[in-house]
Amino acid sequence: MKKHFGKNPASGGRSMDNLSDERWDKEVRKKKKIRDARHLVRVCLATTVAACFAVLFLMPIVLTVTNSFMSASEISSNYGQVFATSDTGGKMYIAEKVNLKFIPDMVSFSQYITVLFKSPEYLFKFWNSVILVVPIVAFQLLVAAGASFGFTRYRGRIREIIFFVYIILMLMPYQVTLVPNYLVSQWLHLLDTNWAIWLPGIFSPFAVYLLTKYMRRIPVSMMEAAQIDGAGEWQIFRHICMPLCKGAMCSIAILLFIDYWNMVEQPLILLSDQEKHPLSVFLSKINAGEIGLAFAVATIYMVPPILVFLYGEDYLVEGITYQGGIKG
Amino acid sequence: MHFPGKFPGKGKKVRLSSKEAGTKLRRLAPRSEKSAGSSPGTRRGRLVSAGYLFPSALGVLLFFVLPFMIVIFYSVVDNPISRQFVFLDNFVSVFNNSAFRQAAGNTMTFSLVAVPLAVVLSLMLAMLLESKIPFRSQFRTFFLSPMMVPIASVVLIWQVLFHYNGMMNEVLAFFGRDRVDWLNSSFAQVVIVVLFLWKNLGYNMILFMSALSSIPKDILEVAVLESATPFQIFWHIKLRYMSSTILFVTIMSLINSFKVFREIYLLKGDYPYDTMYMLQHFMNNTFSRLDYQKMSAAAIMMAIVMVLIIGALFLTENYFGKDVEG
Amino acid sequence: MKKNRKLILTAILAVLMTMLWGCGGEGGSQDETDGYVYVPEYVQMDVDCTYINSVTSLGDSVIMNAIKWDEESQESSNFLYRYDLAKGEGETIPLAVGEDDNIGAMTAGADGSLAMVVNSYTYETDENGEPTNYKSSITLWSVSAEDGSIKSQKDINEVFGNSQDGGTYVQNFCVDGQGNFYLDDGNNTIYVLDQDMNKICEIKADNWIRSMAASKEGDVYISTYGENGLEMRKVDIAAKKLGEPQTGLASGYGNQDFITGSTKSFLMDNRSQVSLYDLSTQTEEALFSWLDVDINSDNVSQRGELSDGRVWALTRDYGSEGADGPEFELILLSRKEASQVPQKEKIVYGAMWVDSNVKKAIIDFNKTSDKYRITVKEYGEAVEDYQAAQTQFNADLTTADCPDIIGLNSLDYHLYASKGVLEDLYPYMEKSGINKADYLENILGAYESDGKLYGLIPAFYVSTTMAKASQVGDKTGWTLSEMLEFAEGREENLFAYGSRSSIFYYCIYNNIDEFIDWESGKCFFDSEDFIKTLEFAAKYPEEYDYQADREEGISSRIRSDKVLLLDSSISSVQEFQMLTGMFGEKVSFLGYPNSERKGNLVQATGGCMGLSSKSKHKEGAWEFMQRLLSEEYQDSMLSEHGNSFGFPVKKSALEKQFELDMTPDYFEDEDGNKTENAKTSWGWDDFQMDIMAATQEEVDAVRSLIESAEKVSGSVDEQLVNIITEESEPFFKGQKSAADVAGIIQNRIQIYVNENS
Repeated sequence: MKKHFGKNPASGGRSMDNLSDERWDKEVRKKKKIRDARHLVRVCLATTVAACFAVLFLMPIVLTVTNSFMSASEISSNYGQVFATSDTGGKMYIAEKVNLKFIPDMVSFSQYITVLFKSPEYLFKFWNSVILVVPIVAFQLLVAAGASFGFTRYRGRIREIIFFVYIILMLMPYQVTLVPNYLVSQWLHLLDTNWAIWLPGIFSPFAVYLLTKYMRRIPVSMMEAAQIDGAGEWQIFRHICMPLCKGAMCSIAILLFIDYWNMVEQPLILLSDQEKHPLSVFLSKINAGEIGLAFAVATIYMVPPILVFLYGEDYLVEGITYQGGIKG
Repeated sequence: MHFPGKFPGKGKKVRLSSKEAGTKLRRLAPRSEKSAGSSPGTRRGRLVSAGYLFPSALGVLLFFVLPFMIVIFYSVVDNPISRQFVFLDNFVSVFNNSAFRQAAGNTMTFSLVAVPLAVVLSLMLAMLLESKIPFRSQFRTFFLSPMMVPIASVVLIWQVLFHYNGMMNEVLAFFGRDRVDWLNSSFAQVVIVVLFLWKNLGYNMILFMSALSSIPKDILEVAVLESATPFQIFWHIKLRYMSSTILFVTIMSLINSFKVFREIYLLKGDYPYDTMYMLQHFMNNTFSRLDYQKMSAAAIMMAIVMVLIIGALFLTENYFGKDVEG
Repeated sequence: MKKNRKLILTAILAVLMTMLWGCGGEGGSQDETDGYVYVPEYVQMDVDCTYINSVTSLGDSVIMNAIKWDEESQESSNFLYRYDLAKGEGETIPLAVGEDDNIGAMTAGADGSLAMVVNSYTYETDENGEPTNYKSSITLWSVSAEDGSIKSQKDINEVFGNSQDGGTYVQNFCVDGQGNFYLDDGNNTIYVLDQDMNKICEIKADNWIRSMAASKEGDVYISTYGENGLEMRKVDIAAKKLGEPQTGLASGYGNQDFITGSTKSFLMDNRSQVSLYDLSTQTEEALFSWLDVDINSDNVSQRGELSDGRVWALTRDYGSEGADGPEFELILLSRKEASQVPQKEKIVYGAMWVDSNVKKAIIDFNKTSDKYRITVKEYGEAVEDYQAAQTQFNADLTTADCPDIIGLNSLDYHLYASKGVLEDLYPYMEKSGINKADYLENILGAYESDGKLYGLIPAFYVSTTMAKASQVGDKTGWTLSEMLEFAEGREENLFAYGSRSSIFYYCIYNNIDEFIDWESGKCFFDSEDFIKTLEFAAKYPEEYDYQADREEGISSRIRSDKVLLLDSSISSVQEFQMLTGMFGEKVSFLGYPNSERKGNLVQATGGCMGLSSKSKHKEGAWEFMQRLLSEEYQDSMLSEHGNSFGFPVKKSALEKQFELDMTPDYFEDEDGNKTENAKTSWGWDDFQMDIMAATQEEVDAVRSLIESAEKVSGSVDEQLVNIITEESEPFFKGQKSAADVAGIIQNRIQIYVNENS
């Protein structure tokens, strides 16, 4: 509407003439139609492109869910050879043509029945996942909140260096630190206990990095004002930083949850007791014998992340709004 | 200013107010390293806030720095058992190792191709969803879904798609082309780039979407009034405003580009075709053969490169980001 | 819309969580052994018997069905021996069993009596009194445990129907709390009889029944192999079917047995660990591992729990020769506080898996040593991910908690030696006064690297290829191209059991150094030889069909030149005699293809171990290791009648073995006439041969075969095997050319080589 208002005075000369006014009106309508049509085409095009991407992106989830309603034998006959392993544990060549199959020949709940009622070990592993992941997410956020506040309130040279070190450590691939981590865990007698997973998770610099970057966007004036009003550091932290960071914390929590929910390497190395292994380890080691159940297990496994995601989706978009540069 | 009721902690409100506050603030007290100390921080205040930092610092020291020190230690001894000091010998031998060079080259090419692609494509996706198309929020959710897919499904799909007897070759055959052994040829890099993009575009897109939505509307409107072309708006305003987000996305993509190893590993094992052979393969394999010294030397070289890259990104950010962001 | 989705998913999660809480308490076995140890106590039994047939516990007594074979009268007597473990007294109880009756199964009945399944045989004889045919029948007895009198008995042949002609053999047998009898015929069916021995019902199981027992509470359970390993189900006679699988049990395909418990429902034994299982809480509680109580679990024939929680085990040792038949021991295991048990220096034997001979040697060592105690850490035992276990094993080697003795079975000792993990053993041998020259130099040499000894093996055998000298010439080795040339056109008639993977093992894996030049960091998997090998292997089936071509036996195929190469191992002079006997003419021992024509390979048997260079208990570890080289231990491996497996490494022991092999066995009849007796009878497939004393020539041939073996077999990295197996497949399937797949294999292995050079 605004635009029309802006353009009308420019063509005001013609509006004096009644006839031409009518014509002009027609013209505008025509132009508008063209513009509308163009807009429509653009939207259609955009929607199509988006839809194409959506199909590509959604395919795995849809596949996982629909295949979880196949019977074990149907799955093995479909994908058995993809997951077959040789005697020595190597991969086997896929000799026959393979295709993804989306629609079950016959809908069967046998996978779910087996997973949920007959083989409690999957539920145990699921439970293990919960036990491992939830404390990591909760406490990493807690530790990170404190640390970010420390990094935000004063930014001396030393802290800047420490923060830089955090970033470097965060970027190290886990292959590098996994072995030394094993050695440290052994030294601290944490091996084979959940602490071996929890502690490195809780102190991971990742959340500190994200949260610090967010917190540093909070106008210093707010904190200064509070300080002038007599608020202590704790009050500033509790009543200014935390409420402002709620969204960011939520979005970081989602990221952390999804990341740790899918961890594989750490439990494999640090927990030799298989009863403590999370379900993600099982899902990464599927072989031909287990593929018949894998889809139901995978579907069940996706429930918590999807849930976390649906609950926190709005925060995910809002929470990262302030994440600007790397240095913050 | 009243305290604390003034700050209800709603994200939206902050977004509106902080821009003003931020610009005002810069005028009053430009945020720089020098000024950090000049905030009314007494010695005591500094100590107290250091206390907040302490738990994290201690944990990081124990579970990240200490392990990294062990890595440094292993990199200068001959092997993890006898531990004779050899100084830089490992670095020389690893640097001359053709497998390491291959791995470093592959990793670098992969990052150089995949990370910019991830940034550009996700930005395009974000722009796409910016235009008022129906089902926006649904699409947004869909694009994020690959993050949640368990690895078993991912590996299955990639095997089925790109195996010699897989679906892609069916498609090629349909168009009368020869079959390609995707995972055992130079195409392998393409496959993993696609895999990486598929996994990461969604999250990057979300980052861009929130950055786009935080560009002040009035500036855009002014631009439209001054009849700027959409391209000009994009290039001079949006991109300018998002420059720091772009850098952030780059960093996140870089982190995630190292994570793609897990999928490659599950697809082809310890020794894939040489175009898919990454630094993590090198580290993983040398580790399992007890060559900790090689693994550590490789890791440290990688860390050094990383420090350089991040340093460069810092400088870039300082150069571009200053004029728009508070 | 979105809200609904959230709600639905939340509901799903809630349901999942409730289910988890539901079974939350049931799972996982707690380890309550901390602070406590089980101590073995050997019970003196005064029973005079040759063999113990079946064993059961009845209250705190162990009841054995003992059989004594009388050499003079050539008759056997069958009686019961009852040992009261609470009182520590044993008594012999006569049993009215006929000569042709055999107690097939015995168990404690409900009323303190014994229930037995007796198989009886009646022979039909021809006019000369020679047995021509026999008939068997099966009866169920109830026997008094006090005096052995039969309380009741009944012919139960009809119970099983007439499905089996040769009579039924009862596999599992037990009695429930009401006195009902449960019999399992080994064909997936449980027959239930009431206390008056009348049939109540039959219950079918889906699979073979591994074990069946009544719980302490009086219900009968069976275990079968289901989808997720061994499953334990209740036999529900009211519903005439099996119940749902029990939870809270360690799953797997192991040898889990269960026995009626006294303090908890069942005593469980998986051949490595003994535990208790409680049905009401569905929890398993670990008690001890057999190894920790110095018992070789392979020897345990029966075990049970006493009312005070002590555990008994009856073991029989087949290995100890000399006595008439196996030696039985009754062992009582009681729980003591760890602090009350004298502490010994702890030595860890760490390995991916531990050879049973090594376990036996460790048990013997622990029993006799006052100073040291060896504990075993098996990293690769029952793990999901063998590679992760290997990672842990390797990581442990670099730390202060490293195993003191490192089991090198199936590991490449070169790798560990080159990383400095292993000690050179020669100085240790010297220090203990063990002369290196007393042992076979070439065998020690196979475990040497730069003149240092890294692996210790007590015994070995030799892998080789045998062929008629008339076919291949009188050679002692050949190269791969010579071998392929010979094979050209003869593929049909080359190997006895040829498959693609066996060809790879034969031509490449046993000879991998030919394809990799570590010096220059090059590999040659795109070479002519490799491509030829691929083409050669393609002529063989993917897997050898052992069911097919049964019409002709292997020996006749050898003799008619349908099997030209026999890929075999030689572990004793007798095996050599048997194999050369199969050929029936002069044999060349070619070994595996090798450019130096030295293809006979050493294989360790009875363990292979190294000493960790980081160990803090090297003294004690060496104490154990040197025992394996001692004259005593080496001589204990000797065998008079040719049933040894593997040659001893000590020269004197080997010579003694040869001496024994050449000494004829005589049979002295009543008149004092000596006739030479066969040492043993041995055969393969269609070939059977009585092995007489070996001739000097035969022993010399074996000796030179042993001397020619200089390399350890089978140390190819599985990574390479995996790559070759995966990538050669498209060629075999006709989807790619041999050169193409060779190129891919070359590409992938080149990285492997580059990494390590």
